[in-house]
Amino acid sequence: MLLAFGNFTADPSVNLQLLIGGLALGAIYAVVALGFVLVYKSTDVLNLAHGEFLMLGAYFALTFLISENLNFFLGVFVLLLVMLVFGLLVHYGIMRRMVGQGFFAIVLITLGIATIIRALLLIFYGPTERARLDLLPQGSFEVGGATVRYVDLIIFGVVAACVLLFFIFFKYTRLGLHMRAVADDIEAAAAMGIDPDKVYAMTWAAAMVMAGVGGLLFGHVTGAIDRSIEAIGLRAFPAAVVGGLTSLGGSIVGGLVVGVIEQFANGHLGTKWREPVAFSVMFVVLLVRPTGLWGRKDLERV
Amino acid sequence: MRSDGLDLRIEDLTVVYGGVTALDTVNITVPPGGFVTVLGANGAGKTTLVRSITSLLYLHKGRVRRGGITLGGESILGRKSPDIVKAGVAQVPEGRKLFPNLTVKENLLCGAASRSDIDGIDESLEQNLELFPQLRPLLSQTAGLLSGGEQQMVAVGRALMSQPALLICDELSLGLAPKIVHRLFELLTEINETRGTSILVIEQNASLALQHAADAYVLELGRVLIEGTADELRGNPMVQELYLGGGGEAHTSYAAIERPGSRPDAHGSRPPVAES
Ligand SMILES: Nc1ncnc2c1ncn2[C@@H]1O[C@H](COP(=O)(O)OP(=O)(O)O)[C@@H](O)[C@H]1O
Ligand SMILES: [Mg+2]
Repeated sequence: MLLAFGNFTADPSVNLQLLIGGLALGAIYAVVALGFVLVYKSTDVLNLAHGEFLMLGAYFALTFLISENLNFFLGVFVLLLVMLVFGLLVHYGIMRRMVGQGFFAIVLITLGIATIIRALLLIFYGPTERARLDLLPQGSFEVGGATVRYVDLIIFGVVAACVLLFFIFFKYTRLGLHMRAVADDIEAAAAMGIDPDKVYAMTWAAAMVMAGVGGLLFGHVTGAIDRSIEAIGLRAFPAAVVGGLTSLGGSIVGGLVVGVIEQFANGHLGTKWREPVAFSVMFVVLLVRPTGLWGRKDLERV
Repeated sequence: MRSDGLDLRIEDLTVVYGGVTALDTVNITVPPGGFVTVLGANGAGKTTLVRSITSLLYLHKGRVRRGGITLGGESILGRKSPDIVKAGVAQVPEGRKLFPNLTVKENLLCGAASRSDIDGIDESLEQNLELFPQLRPLLSQTAGLLSGGEQQMVAVGRALMSQPALLICDELSLGLAPKIVHRLFELLTEINETRGTSILVIEQNASLALQHAADAYVLELGRVLIEGTADELRGNPMVQELYLGGGGEAHTSYAAIERPGSRPDAHGSRPPVAES
């Protein structure tokens, strides 16, 4: 579509490279969007701290996988465990007190959490930037004149596996069912003996673990790990919204669509167009379909 | 299956929402295996009573200021709602409150959230489907798309999934066709008689509730105005005037329905009025 704008390059291998880069970027967006969706779907909270969660994950990955030099799988396990504990901390320390408060009050609280995380990371890790992670295979191979990095393939696989896992979890486990019930109607869920407090705690823990995965993956493809990487949260926001904020599959599709569009804007129009185009896509989608491409309008609570 | 109903005692219960008193020194007792109805107009405090028993007031910024609530002799006041369900209290909430995006089967399964005996849950599901055969073909339907009557059946079935010792129904009849409401009330009577489950029915439809309950209370502006056996209340001129509403349309239409199992004294001293 963007090619029709004019005399930009129509060289197929260049476009293939943009497509591949876009899908890789989109997979990262999808990981982030998945975190947004989990929290929004289950607790009705728009978590503006998710980028910071991811930054936390990236820094912890540095600590456990590089500084502590743990075995890769042990390091990942510890990373995700620590993230899980931080998720519980976010719920039991802060968010639990906000249940029943207004939407915007809670959004502002998440902004507060974002600020706290940034401050703590600055205190404990200092302002110097660190080299990106290099634990995943670094090589690449050629397809039709375009380069495909192994790391992008791995990111792709991990994202797909996460979505599949969440899908199975929500569809086939008791806790997953209870989480969906709380999302539908918290009072009815409580009346049935489901503990919304526990469900919310699990949700924040899951979102934080996803941010751990996201931080680990993004830490491999970002230029360097520094205080600016939380911006990935904002950059992935259009992906989450385009996907519909309530659909796990939607977050994947939204991520890929926005990632590819961004890369084509980047390649054909220039870097400065990347974000304006992404947000324009978001606005257009919202105008046409206020619930996003895959977000379903919830049935009335009758 | 647990068959013994537990008794519920509400003593001197006073509940406030901010500065508004919704219940004022209310005393209500459901005997073990009893069938009790609480009647009252809109805003009388009926739903507040249910929220107090099931510890859901906090979701509405309400709180118990005074009084006590016991189930089977044990205080349940202030315990978390999951614990209260575990203790044996199930409810059909006002307005049904199904999980609209879940399927019928998933809704039913949510009713068993407090249970740990996985095999028993399947059994209860099957039992529910025998109780409501029309739900069987709808199991994988999204609950929000069902008719009002079907939804209410799911709501009752969902509550029964926890094998309650006390079942509370808040305005079961609201917005439903009289025929369906009758069926549901007969079912409650059957569950009460065969399983021994204690039942507390909150109603605006006084004539119907008084046909099925043994004891009754009338709540007005947060206070118990009248209490007695259902027979006494049916004979009470004030109840007749205010709640059996001398030929009020709701009552007229219910009386016109033929009920195979109805008790001979079902309509008290007032003969049923035929629908025009
Ligand atoms: N969330 C609330 N906040 C403030 N007042 C409430 C709330 N819910 C109910 N009330 C008040 O409490 C009283 C009883 O309400 P309710 O228990 O819903 O009555 P009923 O179920 O009999 O119609 C009413 O005066 C109502 O306005
Ligand atoms: Mg009510």
